[in-house]
Amino acid sequence: MRNPLTLTINGEQHDLLIEPHWTLLHVLRGQIGLAGSKENCLEAECGVCTVLLDGKAVNSCILLASLCAGRSIVTIEGLGDPEHLHPLQAAFVKHGAVQCGYCIPGMILTAKSYLDEHPDRMPSRDEIREAISGTLCRCTGYQKIIDAIAAVAAERAGKGAQEDAP
Amino acid sequence: MSFQVHHPQSVADAIALSQQFGDAGRFIAGGTDLVIQINRKRQTPAHLIDLNRLDELAGIAQTPDGFAIGALATHKAVERHPPFQDALRGLVEAARVVGGHQVRNIATVGGNIANASPAADVVVPLLALDARVSLVGPRGARTLALGDFLLGPGRTAREAGELIDCIHIARLPQRSATAFLKAGRRKAMEISVVCVAARLTLDDEGRCAAASLALGAVGATAMRAGEAEKALVGRVPDDAALRDAAQAAAAACNPISDVRASARYRRLLVEALVPRALRICVTRIREGRT
Repeated sequence: MRNPLTLTINGEQHDLLIEPHWTLLHVLRGQIGLAGSKENCLEAECGVCTVLLDGKAVNSCILLASLCAGRSIVTIEGLGDPEHLHPLQAAFVKHGAVQCGYCIPGMILTAKSYLDEHPDRMPSRDEIREAISGTLCRCTGYQKIIDAIAAVAAERAGKGAQEDAP
Repeated sequence: MSFQVHHPQSVADAIALSQQFGDAGRFIAGGTDLVIQINRKRQTPAHLIDLNRLDELAGIAQTPDGFAIGALATHKAVERHPPFQDALRGLVEAARVVGGHQVRNIATVGGNIANASPAADVVVPLLALDARVSLVGPRGARTLALGDFLLGPGRTAREAGELIDCIHIARLPQRSATAFLKAGRRKAMEISVVCVAARLTLDDEGRCAAASLALGAVGATAMRAGEAEKALVGRVPDDAALRDAAQAAAAACNPISDVRASARYRRLLVEALVPRALRICVTRIREGRT
């Protein structure tokens, strides 16, 4: 039996009828048509389903949609658009951080959540690595992804990008 | 897969729903474990009782003698809580190795305890801190030691209708420190092969006034190594004392061989990690990070 549920996604209210077992990822992709959040492991191991819940990165693949009523959900579609890229999106483009692209929506939202959590300081590359440890990329080897995140972090911290220690 | 989700607005309503559904009902907070277990068909609850609207279970509060960690406090909240960054650092170290940021942002301490996984990370420093679990249920409230709450893998002393309200920990005396170490196959996103939490208080002569050691993933529940603690109290924590504690802890634990490691390897890890955790405590006390 479907139940009514109102979700706030990218600032817009959506009145939905959902099955109790539907996850947020299922609703985003199947009901709303927002396919930027990807589907893969479905066990919170890979991070490609990452969205922001009240500003914090969460795995939408194991989050029951009905637990999200009254909370703010942001997906990659809500972060920027081709004319107005979010600084992280622009940095990923500039640094060539994208190969197949499947992990990138989750990667960018994971990075945004982490940088928002640490607004006043420049994280080390090791800290950035740890920050994205819940989001797997099987193409890039992570170097350029970390370059891109470090560049945005440096811009926020108001100083030059840190070089990787040898 | 078919279940109903209920969203009680008060603790009393949540308890009533749990009583009504009995074994067919399960509380859900972050759901980072439960939803996976349901998807794997290892759990088949007919009713999920959503605790997320119960604000009284959220947050970390100061109490006259320490802290009350609300059952809904997330691992990230523990990791980032400013008063936990010094003497209670071991708690922060355990909270920050659970899953990735996405899991820590939503997985709760209450859920981690209620799940009673023998490899639960945050349970181990809480045990070393003599944490007490406050429960509320149909017959009122009660508080019991975390060690008495955990009965076995997936088994707790929680009675029908009861839910975890908060976890109490006492503020540590001067010249105290904690540390947490975890061995896994990789650094992040890993279930512990072994984890160790130490709590140490030194007296003015530099002898161990109090010592506490808790071990994870080497028994049916997280466990205290009482003989190892006794080997330390009253002694200067020198190499000989730490070796005695390490051997006592290795002898006391009861690991199994499984897909992650052999029992023998786990015992060796306990023997290696116990002195390492204690040395970190000594260093922290000497550096005044207490």
